[in-house]
Amino acid sequence: MKKNIFKSMMAALLAVMAVNVATAQQPHVYINPGHGGYDSDDRNMVIYPFHQGDSAGSWESKSNLRKGLALQEILQRKGYQTSISRVTNTTADDLALSTIVALCNQSGADVFYSIHSNATGSSAVNNFPMVFYRGYTGSPQVANADVLAADLEPYLYASQTTVWTHNYQIWGDWSFRPEWGTQGYGVLRGNRAVANLSEGSFHDYIPEAYRLLGLQYCWMEGWNISLGADKYFDRLGNFSQGVISGNVRDDRIKRLQENPQPFIVYGDDNLMPIHGATVRLLDDNGTEVQRTMTDTLRNGIYTFKYVNPGTYTVEVTEPSHFTQTATVTVNANASTYQNFYLKRVRDTPPVVVDYSPVWHEDDPAVKCSTPIVLSFNWDMDSVTTCSAFTLDPPVEGNFKWEDSYYRLVFTPKDAFDVNTLYTLTLKKSAEHGGGTAMDEDFTMQFYTQPRNHLSELAVFPYEGAPVHFKTPTVELRVDSLLDTYNLFQKLRVLDSEGNELAWNKRSIKYNKNGDDYGFVRIPLTRDIEAGKDYHFILDVDIADTAGIHLPAARHIVFKGVDAGADKPGMEVVEEFENAADFYAGTKSTVSASNERLFGSKSLQVDYQLEYSWEGYETKIQPAGSPPAIDVPYAPGDTLGVHVWGDMSYNDLYAVIRLENTGGEQWYKLGTIDFHGWRYLSVPLNTLPDDESVFRFDRFMVMEGDKSFSMKGTIRFDNLLRAECSGIDEASIAGLKVKCEGDYIVASADTWIQGMELLDIQGRSIKATGGNCLNVADVATGVYLVRVHINGRTATSKVVVK
Amino acid sequence: MNKKSTIVTVLLAVVMLLPAMAQEVEVTSRQRLLEGVEGPAFYPVLNTTGDRLLFSTQDGALKCYDFADDVTTVVTRDYVAGNDACWGGDGKVYFVTQETGDNRLIYRTGRCYDVRTRETATVTQAQHGAVRAVPATRGGALRAPGGQNYASSTDIGSAAWTEGNRVHVTVNGEERVFSPVDSWAGYLWASLSPDGKRVAFFAAGKGIVVIDLRGQMLAMLGNYEMPCWYNNDYLVAQNAKDDGHQFTSSQLMLLKADGTWQAELTKPASMSMQPTCGGGRIVYTTIDGLLYEMRINIHE
Repeated sequence: MKKNIFKSMMAALLAVMAVNVATAQQPHVYINPGHGGYDSDDRNMVIYPFHQGDSAGSWESKSNLRKGLALQEILQRKGYQTSISRVTNTTADDLALSTIVALCNQSGADVFYSIHSNATGSSAVNNFPMVFYRGYTGSPQVANADVLAADLEPYLYASQTTVWTHNYQIWGDWSFRPEWGTQGYGVLRGNRAVANLSEGSFHDYIPEAYRLLGLQYCWMEGWNISLGADKYFDRLGNFSQGVISGNVRDDRIKRLQENPQPFIVYGDDNLMPIHGATVRLLDDNGTEVQRTMTDTLRNGIYTFKYVNPGTYTVEVTEPSHFTQTATVTVNANASTYQNFYLKRVRDTPPVVVDYSPVWHEDDPAVKCSTPIVLSFNWDMDSVTTCSAFTLDPPVEGNFKWEDSYYRLVFTPKDAFDVNTLYTLTLKKSAEHGGGTAMDEDFTMQFYTQPRNHLSELAVFPYEGAPVHFKTPTVELRVDSLLDTYNLFQKLRVLDSEGNELAWNKRSIKYNKNGDDYGFVRIPLTRDIEAGKDYHFILDVDIADTAGIHLPAARHIVFKGVDAGADKPGMEVVEEFENAADFYAGTKSTVSASNERLFGSKSLQVDYQLEYSWEGYETKIQPAGSPPAIDVPYAPGDTLGVHVWGDMSYNDLYAVIRLENTGGEQWYKLGTIDFHGWRYLSVPLNTLPDDESVFRFDRFMVMEGDKSFSMKGTIRFDNLLRAECSGIDEASIAGLKVKCEGDYIVASADTWIQGMELLDIQGRSIKATGGNCLNVADVATGVYLVRVHINGRTATSKVVVK
Repeated sequence: MNKKSTIVTVLLAVVMLLPAMAQEVEVTSRQRLLEGVEGPAFYPVLNTTGDRLLFSTQDGALKCYDFADDVTTVVTRDYVAGNDACWGGDGKVYFVTQETGDNRLIYRTGRCYDVRTRETATVTQAQHGAVRAVPATRGGALRAPGGQNYASSTDIGSAAWTEGNRVHVTVNGEERVFSPVDSWAGYLWASLSPDGKRVAFFAAGKGIVVIDLRGQMLAMLGNYEMPCWYNNDYLVAQNAKDDGHQFTSSQLMLLKADGTWQAELTKPASMSMQPTCGGGRIVYTTIDGLLYEMRINIHE
């Protein structure tokens, strides 16, 4: 028995020694497939057709595991000892960083690979391999970690089944993340093995996210890491087989953009991958050695594993494409890449199978912005097809191919002419992608509508408009509903130095279905400066929902003002602090508003014009009997009031009551063609200069010639009165008003703040913030010119010739 | 179960929970160690009496700090020697150094450092594969699965260590191997309770497990790392969170060994980690290598 025990012990000892000898020369690689599970930190890329959180979709944790398992299988085949931190993809597998390091240290591994893929975490889209080791770049904490990285990266970067955007990068983690100090990557801290963290590619590059779904693609990354390990341990000559991998794509059909949002693609990723192609590996004798199929994961990737060295033919067949072959050479322990670009089988001549606009005589005319669309039975050759395209009368425009050259879209550069019959001819010289021309010409006709540009109805600020400095609001109104997509980017306000002012995008108002006209209304985020010029730019490509755009870009200069600036000589006669002192029409309401120029409140009137003998109107008048406010005026006085406008283009009047006679006189303060606060004033120069007593009676909002709305909101603050000081042309030192050619020019000894042209009935014709008013577009006749100087107003008669 | 027995059971549970609910821990002191003297320090290891501390520096050297003398000595400048160093029951330091061979394999050498003489002895020759220092109650050992092992004497007392998904326990020269819970990735950080009656270790994916010397599972304390026995009834452990790349929080937890109670010793944002206990002291480091000593008072 003792003898048997001795024999057994010796046998066991020899066995242990044999194992030890083998182990003594066997590199030990610890594999850490990064992350684990399907949790928030496991990097789910949402790609069609998968939804957020779908475990069948693209997860870094899943592709890392596939690469890791592949690497383990390959290294074991190559004679390595391996350890791996996980073999399934669950939350419990997502080991803590200290645990992973301790497991590696306990295993006694020589080399540690933590396998990941990368993401930019921003809108930038890149794809290139990166590898990290602990320490500063060029100065690794564990000797040779930089060598291990340098041995690995060329193999990853050699992959031709992906599309790289940049060369590979190798970093010490302390250099790459200086903001982390020497914290570095957790799986490298305290790791006693020669350790790398490999970011094999960028999974937020969408085509790469699809590739990382593929087992074969992940296997190839594992294979390439194994080559890096072989290089590091000088074992490249120890393995006798190689691999072949590649993509199969159409040679010109574009890849489909199936994701909800368009995604960026580079290089060959623009081409359509071919699913389910049969790929055969044939030896010198034409004997099939291996057979596989391209994946159906929007990659078209194939791989032949463990191929003996030699020369082979790779043959790709797919029913809708011509078969292709390529001769490849396989070397031991090396990767061979062979991509294929298959030509589609196009066995009939091209024809136009659909087109638009479709128009026949007596049909309604076609919108002038309508693009011409031709759809073909085959993907077309761009050069011959665009050359064969003629329009009569000719129109300058742009061609755009869609649906992988199956659809041609011609868009006029400006717009088709109005009321015009166009004839399109596509000559039969147009060829499809296979080089066959059409059998006959294609012809179509259409007739255009009488409108080919947007018509501007109103804009604020208009040229020369005084704009209160407080977060001004701009608005554009046009004759049809605007296309609001990114519309705010087509309007800009610049200061005098060309700096763009920011929009308050949260407060943008757009037209909506059912509106009578198109509009966009946007406030600025900040105040402008009073006294400075600003520029309001409207891009030409502002368009309606039918694509009809402005006839030209608009460049409007306006001036920042302080509507509440002190007005010398003017007396505040009503502050509008108490809304109860006023009432409006039965369909209108008055209230106190915090949006004010002075004091603590302003008077807000939410009005709706009602029909009366005078037309549509709303009256805003003092409440009570006797009236809550009693403001007398005298002939020649000026009545001024601060008004917050709604750009309704309704007219605002002040009505003065003649107490003795019971009569009244109306004075037009102006048209509410503005947003924000503005000071409006009018000289009461038509009151009879007798013993009458005149009192402010009310404001009237009246439908104007260009009114946009019968209801709206205006506000009033501080009603002013300047007693008659005999202001006229002679009362302001040096004031002269002349009509010279196309301009009325005012001059005085002091700065002129603006002038307004009134017709003889006191209706505002136009205004300017300066001293020069263009009247080229004004009919000849006698007018009044109201000139504003230092808060005072003078009115002068002028003849426009 | 009738109504009466249900009520009795509930009352019993409440009565049993009351002491646990009343329990609390007070951190009585916390102070920086070696501030201004040493740079970043990691992997602190106290001896059982808590008067000496091993730690590893940023450049990988292993050092020993003597609390009584306030003196720090260099044990070795071999890189990463401190990552798994330990105190033997004989007061010596057992650790492993490593060199890379021409074939790029890593060869590890077991060493023993005598604190009194400041001399280092090579106890196992350089060999490829795992070599790990194991503390024992009366000495220390170097374990090399399938290779050359070493024990400081024929009777090193009791010891516990892990290999793969097994925990090894040696008592009076008899070694037993247990796998009380499934863990694909393996076990780590085994240690004997001060009275030598229990073993705590970490099972990857499961957390801290306490077993008796026969391998019977006594408690699972939660998914914390690096457990160390504070006394026979409590352990201190690391509770670190990460995003797969870097730590996002890390704190120390005080865990009752029977699994009935636990408390935070530091806040998650403190980034405190790698605790070690001995002689009533708790020493730990932070993400950036600041060593702290903590004293606590447990009110039961």
